[in-house]
Amino acid sequence: MTPLTINGLAALSAAGDRPEALARRVAALAGERHPGVPIGGIVTEPLPRAEGHALTDFDVRARLGRRGTSFYDRATALAVVACGDALADSGLTVDDTNRARVGVVLGTTVGSLKSTSDYTRETLVQDKPYLVNPMLFPNTVMNCAAGQAAIRHGLKGINATVTGGPLAFFNALRYAGNAIRRGYVDTMLVGAVEEFSAHRAWASALSPAGGEVAAGEGAAVFVIGSDAGSAGNAAVCAVATGYGPDGTAEQALTDCVARALHVAGAAPTDITLLITSETTSSGRRPQRAAALRALGGHRPADLVVSRAAGDCGAATPALALAVALGLSGHDDRPPSGLVLLTAQGTDGGVGAALVRR
Amino acid sequence: MRRVVVTGLGPVSSIGTGVTAFGAALRAGRSGISRITSFDPSGFPHRNGGEVRDFDPAAWLHRLPPERWGRSSQFAAAAARLAADDAKLDLDTVDRGRAHAVIGTTSGESVVVEAFTARLVEAGFDAVPAQLVEQLPAGRLAHAVSEELGLRGESLTLATACSASNYAIGYAYDLLVTGEADVVFAGGADSVCRWAHAGFYRLGALTESACSPFDRDRSGILTGEGGAVLALETREHAEARGAHIYAEVLGYGLNCDANHPVAPDRDSIAECIRIAHRNAGITPDQVDYICAHGTGTPANDLVEAQAVLAVFGPKPPPMSSIKSMIGHTMGAASGFGAIASALAIDQGFLPPTINWSHPDPQLADIDPVPNVARPATVRLVQNNGFAFGGNNAIVLLGAAR
Amino acid sequence: MSGDNERYEQLREIIAEVLEIETDELTDTGDFAEEYQADSLRAIEILARIDKEFKVEIPQSELPELRNLKATYDAVARHAGWQD
Repeated sequence: MTPLTINGLAALSAAGDRPEALARRVAALAGERHPGVPIGGIVTEPLPRAEGHALTDFDVRARLGRRGTSFYDRATALAVVACGDALADSGLTVDDTNRARVGVVLGTTVGSLKSTSDYTRETLVQDKPYLVNPMLFPNTVMNCAAGQAAIRHGLKGINATVTGGPLAFFNALRYAGNAIRRGYVDTMLVGAVEEFSAHRAWASALSPAGGEVAAGEGAAVFVIGSDAGSAGNAAVCAVATGYGPDGTAEQALTDCVARALHVAGAAPTDITLLITSETTSSGRRPQRAAALRALGGHRPADLVVSRAAGDCGAATPALALAVALGLSGHDDRPPSGLVLLTAQGTDGGVGAALVRR
Repeated sequence: MRRVVVTGLGPVSSIGTGVTAFGAALRAGRSGISRITSFDPSGFPHRNGGEVRDFDPAAWLHRLPPERWGRSSQFAAAAARLAADDAKLDLDTVDRGRAHAVIGTTSGESVVVEAFTARLVEAGFDAVPAQLVEQLPAGRLAHAVSEELGLRGESLTLATACSASNYAIGYAYDLLVTGEADVVFAGGADSVCRWAHAGFYRLGALTESACSPFDRDRSGILTGEGGAVLALETREHAEARGAHIYAEVLGYGLNCDANHPVAPDRDSIAECIRIAHRNAGITPDQVDYICAHGTGTPANDLVEAQAVLAVFGPKPPPMSSIKSMIGHTMGAASGFGAIASALAIDQGFLPPTINWSHPDPQLADIDPVPNVARPATVRLVQNNGFAFGGNNAIVLLGAAR
Repeated sequence: MSGDNERYEQLREIIAEVLEIETDELTDTGDFAEEYQADSLRAIEILARIDKEFKVEIPQSELPELRNLKATYDAVARHAGWQD
């Protein structure tokens, strides 16, 4: 299968709004966990812990102006800014000659949980339950961020929103690859976004896998195409997703890694870095174990990006890819080799991607 | 290039569960609208919706423990089980790694989000049970299908709002055409909830008692719910096991208005129709019936009709809205549309637009199949789905050839 | 009169916020739709905020008349009985 070239990217995370920022933090931490920052300034509700990994200085109005942005929720704001930054990084100018051929697909867990929950709250606590704000109604729908990105940047091609939590970015990559290979569009903006809110912080803390790292937020978007003229660029070589029913998720993930290697025509030893979507780096790590089983005896370097970025849900693997492309190689040479990214969603949902740097 | 066929239909709806009951209700023009019971609607001026009354997940599900899954996931899994049964598909004979689940939704596990919210309003975040948090992720709708049927292929929930089922069917079609899959269970699910009821009311888009698309006096939608899943296979796979073929999926088209978050856009919808026709390799004159998005709001029905006229000329094919019967089932809507379309082809009838009493002079060229189902030879159907975010999606189904 | 003036300015602020413009950009007779690109969602939200801030319910059917700040103020005043 033809690899899809990565022609531009953007990553907004607690480490900063430039893609290099998070890569630098990851390198500086050398595997240690970042404690996060006090979050009380942007969230008024009680939190499960005082620290989190949020872009505390992020101001959508400073980036995009007031018009059209005051009713954005945080996830939408992060996504729209990231899409704009990624387009700028790619050098692609969107105009009437190509806008129908440029699309967007974004990954999420539940959209903006705060937007939907607050909307419901209004119907519960107000005298008149129907006096909700119509301007905020679109924010309760999970496709809000992708739809607003299309409006802001004039992208009339395929516009999709995929769910899956940590798996969502892999779903987005597959969805985008299909749209390009089937000839529906030439270029896709592919990414994932998750906002920091009390709702998410609690959902993260209360979830079975939660606890070790604090909740975070971020957005990463990649401009992907099948352009022959960008052969030197990084490229997505294979993405495999699957499901392991009856508690067989680990086996399903091993199968996905094997399938991705097969599709990419790669050998395990081509892999120089493994990045999992795990939010824990101590004790048993099922994702790492499942991935390594498909690599024979090969043991690439491995990285848990949530230790630097926090639990960013759907955005974690997208940020991880930005980190992988932003990290310097040995002796500050450009990074090389294949990166293996893995994710496990809820239940039996799993995915793996191979990206050439 | 492989061809893609529909071999099983799984509707869980307010007018009937299972293809026999649903098909009979469509022909009879039954209404599934009643006073809402899944939340207390007494504070709202309008109190009707299309609820699936007495839905008993345990009656349909073989493997999924209902208590661990939200209502929308239960709808999706039950609908998929019904579709598998209707297709007479023995899953033990299927390569499970090449069997996928693709489910569309607008609001995912909205009932769970509302229970989460009610708890935090009453007692604070720290009082929210972990069990509710586990049920929040929207990705579980497709996972419920994969778990219930034991599928090991891709398990994807698309959240492209009210056209999401058409997105799901389209993506499933591609998985089958390109040889990645043998079988895909595709469709959508959503549940009636307070926030959508409130939001649509506030937009002035919620009608009081009956939804009457294409009527001069139409005044909005009624929120509905359910699960609508189709079993899709490559024709080879279906023929090898001697399956009944309801219809063939000919292709689909997607585009984005990139204009307004909620207002439909005539030119963009017309363009989406043209894209769908081009992708399916058909021309407008071949279309026998349009299963309309037809929400029953003044704006949608007018804009949809204008877009259809722009592509089809002054004599478009009959175009009815099953939302008149089941309300707007959100992410499941175009899945129900696809099921109705497959039945129209297979059984030779046009589903009616019920509650229709006054011709709209602005829609004079539209034949909404008023009130009574009509026998017809249906070879090719266009199933429309539009959504917030300008996410337009149109699927074309044809008679098995 | 000062009370009226205060209410008038409060209304200007409410409407400017919904229209995503600065208060000094919103003139007394500037047409919401034509000059500030207001759509029906924004118009409905202006009604909702009037309901919440002033406890005045203006029926949605009067929306077409609320074309500018002055007309909106007049409608609020009429429904609230401020002139009496």
